[in-house]
Amino acid sequence: MAKEHNKNSERPVAEKGEHIIARHLIDDDAIKEEKNLVIDGVDVSGRWNTFIETRVDSEFDRSFFDEIQKTVVGSRINRCWQCGMCTASCTVTPLYRRFNPRAFIYMMQLGNLKLLKKYTDVAWRCVGCYKCSQRCPKQVNPAEMMEALALLIKKYFPEEIKSKHQLTIDEEVKVIYEGMILGHGRLDLANLHTSAMRKMGKTTELMSDKDERGAIFKMMKDGRALSVLRLGKPHKWHKSKDAIDNYLRHTGTLEQENN
Amino acid sequence: MAENILVIGGGPAGLHAAIELAELGVNVSLVERDTFFGGNPKKFKYKYLFPDLQPAENVIGELIKGAESNNNIKKYLSANIESFKEDGKKFSAVIKSSTGSETKTFDSVIVATGFEHFDPAKDSKYSYQLFDDVIDIKDLERMMGEGNFTRPSNGKPPKNVAIILCVGSRDRHVGNQYCSRVCCTVSVKQAIELKEHFPETEVYIFYMDIRTYGFYEDLYWKAMEEHDVQIVKGRVAEITSGPDNTVICKGEDTLLRGPFEIPFDMVVLASGMEGGPQSPEMADKLGIELDEHGFLKQANVTLSPFKSNKDGIFLAGACTGPKAIADAIVEGGAAAMDAYIYAKKNS
Ligand code: SF4
Ligand code: SF4
Ligand code: SF4
Repeated sequence: MAKEHNKNSERPVAEKGEHIIARHLIDDDAIKEEKNLVIDGVDVSGRWNTFIETRVDSEFDRSFFDEIQKTVVGSRINRCWQCGMCTASCTVTPLYRRFNPRAFIYMMQLGNLKLLKKYTDVAWRCVGCYKCSQRCPKQVNPAEMMEALALLIKKYFPEEIKSKHQLTIDEEVKVIYEGMILGHGRLDLANLHTSAMRKMGKTTELMSDKDERGAIFKMMKDGRALSVLRLGKPHKWHKSKDAIDNYLRHTGTLEQENN
Repeated sequence: MAENILVIGGGPAGLHAAIELAELGVNVSLVERDTFFGGNPKKFKYKYLFPDLQPAENVIGELIKGAESNNNIKKYLSANIESFKEDGKKFSAVIKSSTGSETKTFDSVIVATGFEHFDPAKDSKYSYQLFDDVIDIKDLERMMGEGNFTRPSNGKPPKNVAIILCVGSRDRHVGNQYCSRVCCTVSVKQAIELKEHFPETEVYIFYMDIRTYGFYEDLYWKAMEEHDVQIVKGRVAEITSGPDNTVICKGEDTLLRGPFEIPFDMVVLASGMEGGPQSPEMADKLGIELDEHGFLKQANVTLSPFKSNKDGIFLAGACTGPKAIADAIVEGGAAAMDAYIYAKKNS
């Protein structure tokens, strides 16, 4: 029991939910408990007002599904039948088991935001190798679904993302992104990812064996890194490049110094 | 005067159709491209048939005997239809075989050209033909037919075997979106046979759905309850080489939510069925339609499944879609009736 005392009484006050037997079975979020609460003159502070939210899902929220389906990257969400071939082939999953494209897609299909919220720390880990999309028998394009996921996580849990992962570098990512597109005609998400990590100052993580560097070594070893390089630029890229360049300049999106 | 009916394809459907028609007194011409009758079950030496595990020879051997001993059936082996044209309500065909070319007129035609086993080499993720111990259901069927249940790489009994369902079926990448209908049942049947031969071998089936429809479900229950076959939910996405002469199956256990990479002594790919090159060839030659899956198109899948889109040309067996041998035989009989009625009306 915590030593803290309630101002109004001499009873010792417990940590939230401390008195619950088998406390480890219940998520923090699911326990509602007011430290100081008086109802009709009766002191029901602490354990006397403990409330545990139901752990049974009581609805499938389809509005979330609809929202994702309307996006370009998420339009094929209705195709996924949960076979798991994306997760099985994913570059990132062996490093972060909690990053599971199939499971994320399922959570998105059922609009289970409560569950998705628990993965805000890993949900944006996709390195864009597109292996999953190559394997997916339904052509869901799970790689792009992961993009849809990242966007939605950002929209629905901005606080989580800010507080937990300091993802406040929109502008910088934009610069890297444009440089990549205009320079190579392709988006190399692995590159984007590492650049962003560097900008965030997460260099230790970037260089640690089991995290990013592990992934990079793995990709070099099985030839994926090489195959990305071999892709080269799209056909007649200089023409498209000029057109995109013009457009971005016209809309004022492209800054002068990016030339 | 007796009717003349052409039956193209000497597998279970074609054989049964020919025998039924011959029993009615029809003059049947049975044309088979191979050097033998019996179709894929014969070609790949199927051993036992589901659901009752009776020897395939009981069924296929009987059909072949029935056709061979019937004098109303004129048999053409190593043969094909060289040319084909309509002639009023009748058809004129040139049959080319080892004994030369023959031009004949027919009152109606039954196409029973069957299917081809999907070639797993077409889908590189399964490393078929790369590793000796990665085989497919037709390979295992043939091996078992020859009494051989051991690992192809070293001839030893496998410690563990992975059976991977839906290879070449239900996959946009390989272009086959349909379910091949029989591979689930064949796979649980093979799992039982493996376990009966090597009770110590662990057998795992990797599945997304197990479609042992109708009474075929009995085999699925039997595999689990009498032989401890373990099922794992998740489609395998890659097969690579493993330590100590094993092959690694990489997939996701979608129930436990997480990837696995498990070494196996032997992997059996449940490759599905395809329309094969003969289907477009027949469509082209006979002027009938092909469906979007690469099989021959039925006039109406529910009401007239044995009719093609052309009057007088009928369809039977796996040439219209994946199906079990029992269903192919049923269809042979049904198409025979349709073809007989048409011939009777117009001769
Ligand atoms: S694109 Fe992303 S989700 Fe897909 S395999 Fe690569 S890392 Fe995994
Ligand atoms: S591979 Fe495709 S269909 Fe299978 S779980 Fe992943 S996204 Fe869904
Ligand atoms: S029968 Fe079973 S293994 Fe074959 S395609 Fe259908 S679901 Fe897959």
